Amino acid sequence: MMLARVADSLYWIGRYVERAEHMCRLCDVMLNATLEPDDAAAEVAHIALASAGAPAVGGMGAYEAALSLALDRHAPGSIASALSRARENARQVRDQITTETWERLNLIFLRITDPEAPRAFANGSSAFLHEIIADLHLFKGAADATMSHGEGWRFLLLGTHLERAQLIARLLEVCFGSHQDRISHDHLMLTSLLRMSCALEPYLRAHTSDLQAAYILRFLLLDEDFPRSVRFCTARIEEHVSALGRPAAPGHASPERLAGRLRARLQYADLDEVQASGPAEFVLQISEACAGIHTALHETFVAYPVELRLPA
Amino acid sequence: MRPEEAPGGPRAYDEMRTASGAVRPHYAALARRLAGLGAGELAERQRTLERFFLLQGITFTVYGAESSTERIIPTDLLPRIIPAQEWARIESGLVQRLQALNMFLADIYGAQKILMDGVVPRELILCAPSYRREMQNLYVPHQAYANVCGSDLIRQPDGGYAVLEDNLRVPSGVSYMLANREASKRTFPDAFRAAGVRPIERYPDLLLSTLKSMSADGRPHPQVVVLTPGVYNSAYYEHAYLARLMGVPLVEGRDLVAHQNMIYMRTTSGLRRIDIIYRRVDDDYIDPLTFRRDSSLGVAGLFNAYRAGNVVICNAPGTGVADDKAVYAYVPEIIRYYLGEDPILPNIETYLCREPAQLSHVLANLDKLVVKAVGASGGYGMLIGPHASTAERAAFSEALRANPSNYIAQPTIQLSTAPCLMDGEIDARHVDLRPFILSGEKIVVTPGALTRVALQKGSLVVNSSQGGGSKDTWVLDHKEVTP
Repeated sequence: MMLARVADSLYWIGRYVERAEHMCRLCDVMLNATLEPDDAAAEVAHIALASAGAPAVGGMGAYEAALSLALDRHAPGSIASALSRARENARQVRDQITTETWERLNLIFLRITDPEAPRAFANGSSAFLHEIIADLHLFKGAADATMSHGEGWRFLLLGTHLERAQLIARLLEVCFGSHQDRISHDHLMLTSLLRMSCALEPYLRAHTSDLQAAYILRFLLLDEDFPRSVRFCTARIEEHVSALGRPAAPGHASPERLAGRLRARLQYADLDEVQASGPAEFVLQISEACAGIHTALHETFVAYPVELRLPA
Repeated sequence: MRPEEAPGGPRAYDEMRTASGAVRPHYAALARRLAGLGAGELAERQRTLERFFLLQGITFTVYGAESSTERIIPTDLLPRIIPAQEWARIESGLVQRLQALNMFLADIYGAQKILMDGVVPRELILCAPSYRREMQNLYVPHQAYANVCGSDLIRQPDGGYAVLEDNLRVPSGVSYMLANREASKRTFPDAFRAAGVRPIERYPDLLLSTLKSMSADGRPHPQVVVLTPGVYNSAYYEHAYLARLMGVPLVEGRDLVAHQNMIYMRTTSGLRRIDIIYRRVDDDYIDPLTFRRDSSLGVAGLFNAYRAGNVVICNAPGTGVADDKAVYAYVPEIIRYYLGEDPILPNIETYLCREPAQLSHVLANLDKLVVKAVGASGGYGMLIGPHASTAERAAFSEALRANPSNYIAQPTIQLSTAPCLMDGEIDARHVDLRPFILSGEKIVVTPGALTRVALQKGSLVVNSSQGGGSKDTWVLDHKEVTP
């Protein structure tokens, strides 16, 4: 039993923290690619910005675009704004999260909103972003190690995995949509895609340094064990949703059924099927299914109509 | 010229040193520790302390044009120390006072004997905006109206403590008392151990028992919640802190629903009934159906559920009538009337401007007096005569003549001073003392307090809304260590 508002806030903390971490990687990989004297660098920047939902490089240089994506609190998709929102939600449920968890998040927030942050970013964007990512891992570790693994924690992880599934799906949509031809042959592009999903080393262990677009697609979409594959995320989503286990409000889809259907779809999909319908189309459907679960969770646990739950 | 040396007034009492400059025995352990620390080391500890507050989120937000920044509540490293026998007197005085004030509230909202006996003027009570007719003849368990009370004490030049103000509505600051303690244990562990300091960490636990003892219908395992106005309230940190340490939900008005005179909260698994609400929302805002109609912080229907006995509101609505600044002047009489005892802690001499003779005295002595608006708090609506300009005094004297019953006046009191770390140096600042008293089935005084500090040199204003800070307060155990 927990307050509906609190469950909602914990869910959003999970989403925003995951978003911030992903944006850190996009920024870092994009800036790294610009060091290469290669046309593909511009393409990498395009992929990063398009999948971040940020405006295309256009007039701005890659550095300015990355800076805005990192530190501009007024840009809705930026790392700073995601972290501010995560922390604002954490403040609203300060009584429900452990001090260890709160301190980690508060520390990251203070660092990214520090007036000195732009200078630190300029002095070494890679070090700056890596430190944020490392701190976000500490936050997740603290939550895992100190919070009760009950309902609240499950909402936090539901937010995390729904967000992650949608972020990876979006990245694949951008890469395997109109740019499929270009991506499939360029080494920088392929490694950048793997780095953006924090998948380079796990991929190499699975497939050696044989970089193939199709393998990468399969790895990020259908791998059973890699924590950033869409399939892995949907398995966790189903696990947490069924642990919450509650009948759906009349007239609404049960989140449990939606989560189970999505998990099954990815569990039993194979690459040929994905290729047949076009990978971009496939991941788009996955993302929409995630959005459906998001809505169903909200309607079932948070914004349910009071009149249906009044005591007799 | 330093204000404590102002002509015509006695010198402020120094908490740490006697008039001849010798360190008082109860400060000996700390003084020895301080002597061993260089300025650099003290500054380093101050930074560590501020870092601790920042990390914990003990902050308030300063909104600027471009961005908002978080500032910590100013806090001072050096504890204020109170010896055991001094505290014993404070404690018995506070218990006596709250007991009488609770009896007074029960009487005011019941038979009104004290008004009929003419001890307190009838119109003073019945016309006060803080008097809630809605509370008339409502049963309050143990006559405990003010479950949480934070009284402001000051120490006069002769060393005696006196009550400056009673706070019976929604007093705040207890989380700073606890946070300051946690910080000073880290900062001066050895001096802390040597001094023999009484623990205060049980406060949340005692608060929860006090709240539970208010359960009217004795339902087993009553559901307690803390009601906060929300994250933008300046005391939000405290609301979350207390909820966390009591292990009860922190709710906002929008989480609650009234249905058939019961109060429920919206949980993930439907509605759940609430029995006891520790509300940190002012009377005016708790129920738009009963009090202010434009409030969105409360719950429509809460007061009716309260009257029906299905939920308990702590503190009870309407307690403000007993901490009104004009009623304050009558508290010594109130104590004698209900308890037949002389007050252990005296009041500050107070002139009621509603009395014509006292008004003319006040007008003639504006340059020596502090004038306060009856309904205001937090250091607002106040004139400190000796520090005010002629124009400010003229404006106030006009306001006084226009609406005399809205004001009281008190002599300017030299608050005692305590050593504080200011820009790396130890210097004296004026302080007051806010202990916290709980009353439910019984009255409990936590052996500690929030010592509020006027950070400006010479200033007598300690309110946090007016640039005041705070420091830890050590109440010593009986087993005192001799220097």
